[in-house]
Amino acid sequence: MAMWPGALIFDLLSQCQIGGNALVRLSFYAIIFGLAAALLAAPTGLVDWSGIKKGKPAWKIGLYHMSLNLIVTLLFAVNLGLRWQTFGDASEVARIPLLLSAVGTLILISSAYLGGRMVYEYGISVARMSKKKWRKLAAAGGANLPPE
Amino acid sequence: MLKDLLEGKPLRHPIHPMLVHFPIGFLVLSFLLDLVSLAFPEVPNLVRGSCYAMLLGIITALLAAVPGFVDYSDIRRDHPGKTTATRHMTLNLMVVAIYGINLWIRSSVLSDPKISLLPLLLSIIGIGLLSVSGYLGGRLVYDQGIAVGRHKRRTATPQDTLHLSTGYLASGGEITFVPVPDAEQLGNGETLRVEIDKLVMTIARIDNQLYGFQEFCTHRFGPLSEGSFHGFNVQCPWHNSCFDVRTGKVTKGPAKVDLKTFKVEMRDGKVGVLVRKGHDQKT
Repeated sequence: MAMWPGALIFDLLSQCQIGGNALVRLSFYAIIFGLAAALLAAPTGLVDWSGIKKGKPAWKIGLYHMSLNLIVTLLFAVNLGLRWQTFGDASEVARIPLLLSAVGTLILISSAYLGGRMVYEYGISVARMSKKKWRKLAAAGGANLPPE
Repeated sequence: MLKDLLEGKPLRHPIHPMLVHFPIGFLVLSFLLDLVSLAFPEVPNLVRGSCYAMLLGIITALLAAVPGFVDYSDIRRDHPGKTTATRHMTLNLMVVAIYGINLWIRSSVLSDPKISLLPLLLSIIGIGLLSVSGYLGGRLVYDQGIAVGRHKRRTATPQDTLHLSTGYLASGGEITFVPVPDAEQLGNGETLRVEIDKLVMTIARIDNQLYGFQEFCTHRFGPLSEGSFHGFNVQCPWHNSCFDVRTGKVTKGPAKVDLKTFKVEMRDGKVGVLVRKGHDQKT
């Protein structure tokens, strides 16, 4: 998640003539690591989403979250391709890859916010693994409980 | 007000878990570049890039720490998540200290083609501790429910549980009046978390009336003393189940089972709650 905004920060720094080729390379590597991390995270996200009932508001948010993530991943893959020839010795990042980083980061942040809303507003995955432990505490606290 | 901002209430999303992606990402990137510099020392600027990533990692870690401290201070003192949070915070402080030293050592060897042993070792330790700490942070949200649904609550949440007892006077099975002096000071939409001989309940003031009901939601047992109020409904912060505080009836799922309720009344000028003595001996 932080690799791509990180790449944008490195791009912008390189535009200000700071760091030279080190930052151009840094940005390039950040995009690669970001792609690798995205591919690792995607299947777990898909499994979490498939566990949400279709009528729930979180299902729709999850759909937007997933679609935006796919778009972002595609944008950064193209971005990486554009840099492939020049990252070795350029001292600043060209216009189009810079623009792609900016657009990608904006979409990514919106998508991440939606992902956060699923957890903090709708409690997706909250107390899923710890349900037994909380049940014990509730039982000890004399609460009415649902059948197991 | 500042506390509400740092807790992310206007965004309806806590701030600390948003910001932590940056230190984690930058510090992991720094470590990965170290590894690449070992494998391909002929690639220029890897050690320098790793150091820049580390610097940004430390800066963003310090930024993320601010809302982190606020979140920490808002966890109820006897919440099971409090010890996890203390560990999470301690580890993070250690990680920042280790990376501070690491950065200082690296600042003099920026042009090296590959990373030397001591800073690499510090990075390995740093990443190890950071992973554990990040995992604990995840546990805080997904297991302990810290900050989940917090933005829905308009008033402060209880900082402690009041421990009271029916005393020696009552015998088993008898309904006893237990004075709860703090309940009188509750404002509308405020709650107390009260434990009377192991029975845990929320006492809330709604529309200038006091209501008592079980603390734990009947879905996944979220803390109703941290819930929000809509008319006479209490909404669980975790999965938004709603219950009528007057009857305990479920008014909105996912919960299916009603809450236990407790009568709160005035006796001899004291506010108190009626509980059946000896309920816990049976369980």
